[in-house]
Formats: sequence, structure tokens, C-alpha cells
Amino acid sequence: MQRNGAVPAPFEDAEEECPICHSKRYLRKDMKFMINPECYHKMCESCVDRIFSHGPAACPVAGCNKTLRRARFRKPTFRDLQMEREVDIRRRVAEVFNREEVDFDTLKDYNDYLNDVEDVTFNLIQNIDVEEAEAKLDAYAAANKQLIQSNMKRAKEGVDTFRARQEAAKESAQQRRKAALQEEEETRREEEEERRNLLKALDAGGDAEVLTRQSQEAMRYRAQIRKEALANEISANENANGSAQFTIRGLKKHVEKEEEEEEKPYDPFDGLSDKREYFVLQEDYGWENYDRLNKPEYSAGGYNIHEYYNRALCEAFSGLGVFIGDSSDEAPPAVASAGAALAAASPMSDDVF
Amino acid sequence: MRFHIEELEILFPYPRIYPEQYAYMCDLKRTLDVGGKAVLEMPSGTGKTVTLLSLIVAYQQHHPEKRKLIYCSRTMSEIEKALAELKALMKYRTEQLGHEEEFRGLGLTSRKNLCLHPSVKREKSGSVVDARCRSLTAGFVKEQRERGEDVEMCVYHDNLDLLEPHNLIPPGVWTLDGLMKYGEEQKQCPYFTARRMMPFCNVIIYSYHYLLDPKIAERVSKELSKDCIVVFDEAHNIDNVCIESLSIDITEDSLRKATRGANNLDRKITEMKSTDAQKLQDEYAKLVDGLRDAGEARDEEAFMSNPALPDDLLKEAVPGNIRRAEHFISFLKRFIEYLKTRMKVLHVISETPLSFLVHLKDLTFIERKPLRFCAERLTSLVRTLELTNIEDYQPLQEVATFATLVATYEKGFLLILEPYETESATVPNPILHFTCLDAAIAIKPVFDRFSSVIITSGTISPLDMYPRMLGFEAVVQESYAMTLARKSFLPMIVTRGSDQGVLSSSFTIRNDPSVVRNYGNLLTEFCKLTPDGIVVFFPSYLYMESIISMWQGMGILDTIWKYKLILVETPDSQETSLALETYRTACNNGRGAVLLCVARGKVSEGIDFDHHYGRTVLCIGVPFQYTESRILKARLEFLRETYRIRENDFLSFDAMRHAAQCLGRVLRGKDDYGIMVLADRRFQKKRTQLPKWIGQALPEAESNMSVDQAVAVAKKFLKDMSVPYEGLMQEGISTWSLSDLKRHQAKKEVEEIEQLQRDAEMEGLEEANGNGNGVVNGNGNGVGNGNGNGVGNGNGKVVDEFDMDEDDEEAMMALDG
Ligand code: SF4
Ligand SMILES: [Zn+2]
Ligand SMILES: [Zn+2]
Repeated sequence: MQRNGAVPAPFEDAEEECPICHSKRYLRKDMKFMINPECYHKMCESCVDRIFSHGPAACPVAGCNKTLRRARFRKPTFRDLQMEREVDIRRRVAEVFNREEVDFDTLKDYNDYLNDVEDVTFNLIQNIDVEEAEAKLDAYAAANKQLIQSNMKRAKEGVDTFRARQEAAKESAQQRRKAALQEEEETRREEEEERRNLLKALDAGGDAEVLTRQSQEAMRYRAQIRKEALANEISANENANGSAQFTIRGLKKHVEKEEEEEEKPYDPFDGLSDKREYFVLQEDYGWENYDRLNKPEYSAGGYNIHEYYNRALCEAFSGLGVFIGDSSDEAPPAVASAGAALAAASPMSDDVF
Repeated sequence: MRFHIEELEILFPYPRIYPEQYAYMCDLKRTLDVGGKAVLEMPSGTGKTVTLLSLIVAYQQHHPEKRKLIYCSRTMSEIEKALAELKALMKYRTEQLGHEEEFRGLGLTSRKNLCLHPSVKREKSGSVVDARCRSLTAGFVKEQRERGEDVEMCVYHDNLDLLEPHNLIPPGVWTLDGLMKYGEEQKQCPYFTARRMMPFCNVIIYSYHYLLDPKIAERVSKELSKDCIVVFDEAHNIDNVCIESLSIDITEDSLRKATRGANNLDRKITEMKSTDAQKLQDEYAKLVDGLRDAGEARDEEAFMSNPALPDDLLKEAVPGNIRRAEHFISFLKRFIEYLKTRMKVLHVISETPLSFLVHLKDLTFIERKPLRFCAERLTSLVRTLELTNIEDYQPLQEVATFATLVATYEKGFLLILEPYETESATVPNPILHFTCLDAAIAIKPVFDRFSSVIITSGTISPLDMYPRMLGFEAVVQESYAMTLARKSFLPMIVTRGSDQGVLSSSFTIRNDPSVVRNYGNLLTEFCKLTPDGIVVFFPSYLYMESIISMWQGMGILDTIWKYKLILVETPDSQETSLALETYRTACNNGRGAVLLCVARGKVSEGIDFDHHYGRTVLCIGVPFQYTESRILKARLEFLRETYRIRENDFLSFDAMRHAAQCLGRVLRGKDDYGIMVLADRRFQKKRTQLPKWIGQALPEAESNMSVDQAVAVAKKFLKDMSVPYEGLMQEGISTWSLSDLKRHQAKKEVEEIEQLQRDAEMEGLEEANGNGNGVVNGNGNGVGNGNGNGVGNGNGKVVDEFDMDEDDEEAMMALDG
């Protein structure tokens, strides 16, 4: 859970005191507080050691009858222990309800799902109908075991890619910085040299004005070349990085609008239609090759250029609507599209193309 | 004076025109014709505003589509000035044309300046005025009253509803004062009059922020059409305005207040649930479909606006987990708690929005998407709850805005957390800076939306820096020289003291007693020779203080005291305005005064020292920014990485634009004169970065002087200046009458024809040469810029004395937010 090394060392508040032994931070500078996720009562480290080192014991806070174990004590992340508890609950829920937007066919479905999850979470946190909420949680976990597993894996991969990418970006930034410094350094050196050469030439008795101009031009020219080289190098680097980042995600199942299950005329093809889903055939694609050939003198009887267009487009799009997941038995029902399972991009990029 | 530029008739409200004004108009017209962006640098004190207005108004009236002009300036006084110019211009047009044109020009400023409500207007702080006004005018308050509840409303606002919505105020140009008076007479609110009339105006004059700050722009400037002509005047600092408008600072205190705000909301929700649950249910139902639909009903008084959210996002449905009001509050609380936790670190952290988001998600399970909707969602909630005491929720709003921004932009922003205020502090006082590094982000919507954008100022060199930083391409980039009949200002670069020791404020030697003494010496000498006022600029307060105390020790101040009164600028604006007052009095009576101030302070930006108020300006040291600032460092790095602008180039550019601003302070017109001294060895190399009009007057020989040389040159200059000078001598050179202008135009035409002929000949020649490679050097630069340096005598009153009213208030506009 702790990463980036950025999790804070809390400020010392001199007035803070341990509710158990009443010692104050003011007197004991290194005092640390701990909590146990059973009841979230806070106490100081030495109290924890004192009370729980001989095995489980009851929480010393009056009215709290929970039995606590030493091993489960930890330092809280948040100052607000209510929040500490909330986040723990959220972690538990998030481990179960871990579907992402790509797993849904429409945004609305996803939003409704989020709404439901939040309802469950909220109830758990606020202690409203806890049993019911717990039951929902368990039921979902049981029903979607496999899905949860695979989503977990995906999330982890996402994080890994993200981290790798961050690293790469940092590295290339450093490189660029170095290159820029180098360039500056080189410019300086060359100027220096040019000046020396100029002086030498002047000593040798050249025309001052002409020589100066020459040397300035030479310098400008070289700087230009250097700049271009640098720019090329950088863009090459970026391209290399860019190609590695390319991932496909978000291919969605094509959802038909809900059809009313009314009495319909008999359909011999069982809904199969020759209507194109992905394109609309146009009158003309303005490709001059065909314009040239599309003349009566060249066509055989019955040849129709639109048939050709249609076939070409059909070929181009065929397969886009087929989802491997649907035909395989292992796939969890109704949810996973192959595209989503394949998706390994970071959870950060939520733009779907 | 009436004349034509190509097909366009210009009515210029003065009998004479400066050559550079004419050139400026030509370029402006060119920009408007082709559409696109322009960067124009026009010397200070040459009547830029009136030039701009005359051309654009002429353009508007000439073309049937009557493109609207949006004129943005920085300060109240500048806006007032522009309105006055516009009024005079329109009066002149009416006289000349013999009939009044259908025309409306309005200025807009904050409620604080325009409010008429007897008790609201007395509030001191702008945001309180805004908040109180909102609670008197909000849509639901009206509904409540219609339901028969007893609620207080503002009559001035109510009265507006009785008028025709497109004719709240008669046509004409209304200065802010005029608007207030009219409002008082008719009992209608001037602020809302101006805002609602905006779509029906030909010219709108207001502050930058109304266009650049996305939090305000969305509300105020949304309805302006695409073909508006946008002008940013005094735009040399526009990049900083852009950046500031998107940067947010969060402190522990503001987080505490935000928590309180969230708890209040929580309570209100519970209350409402028991009294009027239907309202919440309605809101929920609306949010299922999308924010924008829910916000459709948003009136002009919405609590706040979202920061630069892409439009398609707004149409999207609100994420399911913040749809319910109580869910959203818990979401906010979690976010605030997270921020509080982050504040508790003891070392500096800087991180990108992306890594912030990842960490946030790890710790609190807050996803990026709902975060992005935060600001909008909060607005919707506040509206649903019908809150009136909105000012209490300001900190919460800030946090929500921050949330939205951080989740929206991956690039161009950085989070910097500084636990201590200063390096040496021991008590932590953490600040989370969410800083925008890319000026292009805030201004992009403006560029995208409006076809003609003109960026102009007296000092905006080097011209190509702005297009690079703001991410646009200029179709016209021009810097105009100042045509003068005699050299009326004397720029000098002083690099050495009289003892030949270097003068420099560079870090290593700035506290060297010999350097300090030389600077003191320089000041003393100029105090002796300058009549009336001297203005001295230091790079920073810190440096100024240390130098002043050293001068005190060396007895330099005592010497100066014999010649001039000494006054000092302080960070406190009240004290400073008192000092300024005294300074002016001293300049008006007797031996004059010296004002010590800071190159990035208020004085350097907003206050003019025309005529005897400033005869010498002395720039002690190069006004570099404080480079140890982490925010600056981050920005430098960003500029290098993204726009390939090197650190040193930017720092030097930035220092020079401030130096140029300082120098420009003393010269406010063509009949003004003054000495400009840049006292630092390092200025010598930066000479080329000065605006063209200053650079041209600065010969090589005067860019490397010692103190005594400078004194000699300055004495001679002042002597020349004291020779009586006939205004007539300027005729035809630095000011043109109509006939001069006609002559110039005719000459240009001839030149153009000749040019064409030459080209044609050349072509013929080439043809004759067959496919030989004839060298073409047709140098098509036919713009004659009547430039002469005559010296004459006689002290004629120059007629055109515009753009030089004195104003010492730099009341930066208090804005609604
Ligand atoms: S409506 Fe106008 S007059 Fe009334 S309170 Fe608001 S700003 Fe003041
Ligand atoms: Zn204890
Ligand atoms: Zn307990």
C-alpha cells in the first residue's frame, strides 16, 4: 500500500496523549500510536506492548469488549480514525467489486453498477443494514470468483505498465536534460575556439571585418546543425517509447437496442440481416482508378461497381463484431469481452477509442 | 482627421497622427482581414488605445457583420481610460458623420465596484460582496418568494426583469461612472445591466480574467460569438495571468474550512431529506442523464463554475458513485482527509498529477473519473440545497476545483508540497501548490474560439517568445519604432563605477561594499543632475533593503537627502500609495524626490511617471526572478522540455521584460522626456532583448559606460532638452497632419507600383534569359517609416495629449470567483 515513499511521517502534535496510559507526546517525543482494525481504538505503542505481548486480550478502552491480537496492530494512515476504518472497508469492497468501465457495454450500466457498489459500501461504513450489505458482498464474491481473479490480475498489470512507463519517462527526461547541457557546453567551447582562431587569423593580418563575419556565420551554422541533431535524437527516443506504449482496449460488444418481444412476422434468417453494421455504402468513393475503369466499355455484363465497394468494405470490417470470449465456454457469462480481457493498459487512461 | 486605409474610412479623433499609429492601423487591419493572431509592440505613450479603437470601430461600422470587439486590459484605471477614449471617439464620429451610429460600448468590472445595494456595497471584500449579492439574486430565492415566502431580494436586480432584455440601457458608450449614475437614476443594477447587455454590445471592455480565468470565463463570456475581435492590451504579462488563473494553493487552514463546509452540507442533506426529499430525488434523476442537462437551468448566478472541462465530458452522465448526495459528500470528505494526510510530511515533494492520482487511489480508492466531476457535482448540489450563505463554502469549492483540475490535466501541471514557508522555518506551515506550468492551457479556449486575437503592449519583446509560450502562430508580428523629431529620451547602460569597478547585482558580488558604493555614487550623481523626480528600481525587496541599510552606513543617503526627498515602496499597498502621494507632492514643489521601488512590485507595473514625475529612471541590477523558487524551477524545466526554451533564455527574457516595463514608466508621450539608466554589467549583452523602440535609441557607444561618462552624457542631454522647442518642428516627422499622411500614402503607392514594375521587368528579364538562373533580388520592403532626428527649438504645446492621464490607483480588480 505504501509507495512512492510519499506516505507521510505524521507531524508531532505535542498535546496528543495516549487515552490508555495518559502519557503525552510532550514528554515522550518518540511516542507512536497504533490501532487495531477490530475496533479502531488508538493507543500508544508501549501500551500495545504491555497489554498484548502475552497473547490476545480485551481492548482496554472502556465499553469496548473486542478481543485484540498483537499482530494486527498497525500505524494508522489517517489522522481521522473514522476515515481509517472507512478506507479499510473500501479496500475490502474494492477487492470484490473490481470491474472497470471497459467491462460494461454501456456507460449507463457501469454507472448503475458503481451506484450499487457505493450503496453497499456506504451502508457498511455507516452501519446501516450491515447484514444485508455483507450478504450482498458475499453473494457477489461467490458468484464471480473467476471474474474477480482475472480483474485483479488485470489491475495489477495496469499498475505495472504505468510504473514502467513512469520510469521510462523519467529516464528520457534526464537524457534530454543531459543532452541540453551538453549542447550548451559544446556551444561555449566552440565559441571559445572560434574566438581563438579569429585572433590567430587577425594576428596573421586578415581583414578584421570579413573574418569576424565569417566566424560568426560558421558558428551559427554549427549551432543550427547541433540543434537539429538533438531534436532528431529526442524525437527518435520518443517514438521508440511511444510504440511500446500502444495497447488496445475498449473494444465493445455491439449492443442492439432492446427489441420488444412482440409477435413478429416469421424471419427465415433468424435475425440475420444483410444490413451493414459498421459502414454505410456510399454512392461514390472517388477513387480515380475505378472511376477510370468504371465505364461501360470495360465492364462485363452485370458488373456493378457498388458490389465491389460493398465486398471490399465487408472484408475490411469482418471480424470486428466477433468476440472470441463469446464462443469459448470458459468465459464468465455476460461480462467479459475478449477486448477487455486483453486490455492491459493502465487504469489511468480511460479514453476509449 | 479622416482618411482611408484601402477601402476603409478611418475617423481619428485628433487632427494629427503619429507615423507609428498609422503603421499600427495598417497591420491591425491586415490581421482582421485575414483572421488570425497578431503580436504588436507599440512604444509606450504613443496613443495605442485610441489607435486601436479608431481602427476597429471603423472596421466594425464598415462591415455589415459588425464583429464585436472584446478589449481586455489589466487594471481598473486602464479600463476607465479605454472607455473614456472610446466615448471621445464615438462623439467625434457622430460630429463628423452628422448622425449617431447605432452603437453600444460597455465596461464590466466586479460587483464590488458596481454594486448599488445600500448595505452590500459597503462590504470591504470583493468575495463577500459577490456572495451576498448571490444570495439576494439567486434563482431559487425568487422561486421561494413566488411561493409566498418572505425572503429578501435586491430591488436593483429585480427591476431589470421589468425591462426589455435586449435594451436594458440606451445605446451609446457608458463609462463605469456613467453606468453607475444611470443605474442609480433608474434603480437598476449596473453590474447585471452590463453583464446581460454583453451580447448586444459592439464593444466590451473588461479585465483579462473574464476571458482567461476558466472559473469566470464560462459564466461571463460564454455567449460571445466566434467572430469577435479579441484584444489583450498591456499583454506583456499575459503568460503569468494564464498560469495564475489555473493554479491553486491549498493550506491546512483551507482544508479545515473545507471539512467544515462538507460537514455543513452533510447536515443540510439530512435536513432536506426529512423535509423535502423529492428535491434530492429530482437531482439524482437528472444526474443519471448528464451534468449539462442538469445544469441547463443554471442561471447567471451559479455558485461557481467548472474549470476548463472539455464539453463532451459535461454531457456525460455523472459517475454512479457520486450521484447520490450523501455519497458525494463522503467522497469529498475522503479526498480532504487524504490531502490532510499528505500535508503532514516534513520534506518537499513534487509530483505529477498522474502519480498523485495513483497514490490517491492506492490510499483512498478514489478514481480519477469521479474526481473530474467534482466541481460540477458540487455546484449542482449547492443549487439543489438552495444554500444562501455561499461564501462559507469557498474553501470547499477550491478543493473541488483542485480535484477537477488534477484529474483533467496530465501534462502542464505539477504538485509541489512545501512543508515550511521558508528555508529556515522550524514550525511547519505546509502549502500544497498545484501549479500550472503551461500558459497555453488557459488561453487555448480563447484562441480556439475567436478568429482574431491581438496581443499588444508597449514592451513585448522578443516578439516570437509569446507565440512559443502560448502555443499559437501569429500572422502578423510587428514592433514599431518611435519616430521622434528630436531625441527625447536617453537610454544608457552603465557598467562600471567611476573607479572602473564593475556594477552588478549578481549574487556573488552584490554585497561587496565597493559595488554598493558605486551604485550609491551613481544614484547621488543622478540626484544632483536630474530636475524633479527620479525613480529607482531594484530586483527585489530583499536586495533593496540590504542596499539601503548599507548606504545608510556609508552616509550615502545623507548626501542624497541634500538633493531629494527619499521615499521607499513597501509590500504594503497602503504605505506605498502614501509614499507615492508624498512623492508627487515633492515633485510638484521644489527639489523633487527619489522613489526607491522594486522591479516586480506594484509601482513598476501600474504607475506612470509622466513629465516631471519621472525624469530619470534607474534600474539597479538585472531584475531576475528568484530562481530558487521550486515553482519557477518546475516551470523552467517544463518550458525546456515542451517548448524548447532554454532556462537562461527564459530568465533573461523575463528579466528584460520587467526592465523594459520599468524604463517605459517615465516616457508617457512624445512631448515627455527622460533618462533611462540600466546599471549592471550584464545588461550590455542583453541590449538586443530590449524593445525595438528603446534599442534603437541606444547606440553601441552608450551601452558600456562608466558612471562619470553617463553623468556627462546625461547632463548634455538635459541641456538639449531645456532648449525651447517648437512643436512645429515635429510636423511631418513625428506627427503627421492629413496632408502629410496623404503624401505618405501616395509615396507608398508609387513605391508599390514601382516595385510591381520592377518585378515585372525582372520577370521579363528572366524570360529573356530563357531558363538561365537570373539572380532576383527584388527587395519588397516598401514601407517608408518617416523617421528623422531633427533638433529644433520653441516649446509649442503639442496637441495630442492623450493616454497620459495620471493615475496612481492600481486597484487590481477584485473578481468574482
Ligand atoms: S444585484 Fe447589483 S445592486 Fe443588487 S446586490 Fe447584486 S451587485 Fe449589488
Ligand atoms: Zn499508552
Ligand atoms: Zn477497542
